[in-house]
Amino acid sequence: MPEDSFEPLIITFCCNWCSYAGADLAGTSRIQYPASIRIIRVMCSGMVHPNVVIDTLTKGADAVIICGCHPGDCHYLEGNLKAEMRREGIELLLDDLGLEQERFRLEWVSASEGQKFAALMTEMTDKVKALGPSPYSTS
Amino acid sequence: MAVRVAEEWLNICGGCEVSILDIGDQLLDILPALEFVHMPVLMDSKYYGQLGERDHMEIPEADVGIISGGIRNDEEKKIAEEMRKKCKTLITLGSCACFGGIPAMANMWSVDELTDKVYRHCSTTESAATPTENIPGLLDRVYAVDEVVDVDVTIPGCPPSPDMIVEALTCLLEGKPFILPEKSVCDECPAKREKKAAGGDIKRPLQPLDIKVGEPWENTRCFMEQGVLCIGPVTRAGCSGTTVEEGEEKVPRCIKGYMPCRGCFGPIRKGANPLVDMVSSISSIGLDVKQVVDRRALLNRYIGGQNRLKPLPVRN
Ligand code: SF4
Ligand code: SF4
Ligand code: SF4
Ligand code: FES
Repeated sequence: MPEDSFEPLIITFCCNWCSYAGADLAGTSRIQYPASIRIIRVMCSGMVHPNVVIDTLTKGADAVIICGCHPGDCHYLEGNLKAEMRREGIELLLDDLGLEQERFRLEWVSASEGQKFAALMTEMTDKVKALGPSPYSTS
Repeated sequence: MAVRVAEEWLNICGGCEVSILDIGDQLLDILPALEFVHMPVLMDSKYYGQLGERDHMEIPEADVGIISGGIRNDEEKKIAEEMRKKCKTLITLGSCACFGGIPAMANMWSVDELTDKVYRHCSTTESAATPTENIPGLLDRVYAVDEVVDVDVTIPGCPPSPDMIVEALTCLLEGKPFILPEKSVCDECPAKREKKAAGGDIKRPLQPLDIKVGEPWENTRCFMEQGVLCIGPVTRAGCSGTTVEEGEEKVPRCIKGYMPCRGCFGPIRKGANPLVDMVSSISSIGLDVKQVVDRRALLNRYIGGQNRLKPLPVRN
């Protein structure tokens, strides 16, 4: 597939309390970001088990982003710290699956950071476009 | 009337058959109820007739079929299909038959890479062309039996324990189901857990453990927490047996021998991904997963079939 026609599929898990509100703010403020992002709302970044990330990446998505509240702000106190603890394991698993570690990202986005959310999504889309489709991609 | 049993060994080491013989005295109790009609390891029966007169493979009809070993080549695939056709109930015996087993670690490479390595890049043998005449062709990978034909009962273990074979056969004779519980080896392990590692690096398999042989288990710290890779958290329980003698404790088989679990009973439930779960479980007690040498193979040691191990995709 020629690089310019490749539209990546990026699954973004946003926690309900901060990041989803941040994404919403990006929308209501009419900030543009690429359509390759599909947002899935979860209650907390800490509930996205590595199994879900690995399944997503081996069943069609080109990349996965988990967005949660900033450390200290998680509405379940330590969910985002849990997510952070799992980060390295997920990156190693990507190695084991023959995927680039850049296809996974964990970021903190607060409810007031619509701008940051949009910038992050644009940056990730560019990066994944440069990497090309995932070898597990189904599209 | 005796129950007719057919047994086949496919891609095996023979250990599973040794386990059948290892049943010992109990075998004498159940033997009168069984009639072995086909069992290449013990008796001579030819697939194409004693003189090769038949033009198609045939295995005698049986009530119960037992298959050990996974499926690696054309011949084994044919035998498995014929077994399914002729046996009312089909049992897979041992981790090779249930999940691919040790040989399925080869699923990390393509057949071409494998034969190239074995026949042309092995430092201790002379190079030669890959043989093709008079031998069955290799399949693209090692398959667990249930990927090729339907299986009714599974008895995992490498090797499976004689007691469990008796139990499964007894269940069958009595018309009861034989199903292992969906719990982990840890759930049946008496070692003392503190939910965090004692500290330090992950040890290599032969580094000494802090154990007190013969002392009550509450004095022995969980091996994983001592830094020895133990696959108990993501492995199905059952190897500690269903019955224990009076006053004895239920202890998983390897733990009883003061060795960590290697994962031979396979995933806790269908669809689980032990590699992912084990990586999470190692880091959750504060150990460094990066230190697990040959992680992908080790955490899939017995379960490389069923698509768990495959050649890595080529990155572009
Ligand atoms: S399960 Fe173990 S004992 Fe049985 S054939 Fe396989 S390697 Fe041998
Ligand atoms: S990790 Fe191993 S030693 Fe520890 S509780 Fe589980 S089975 Fe027992
Ligand atoms: S402890 Fe683990 S490796 Fe040992 S027999 Fe039980 S399941 Fe198999
Ligand atoms: S609620 Fe936002 S990360 Fe936990």
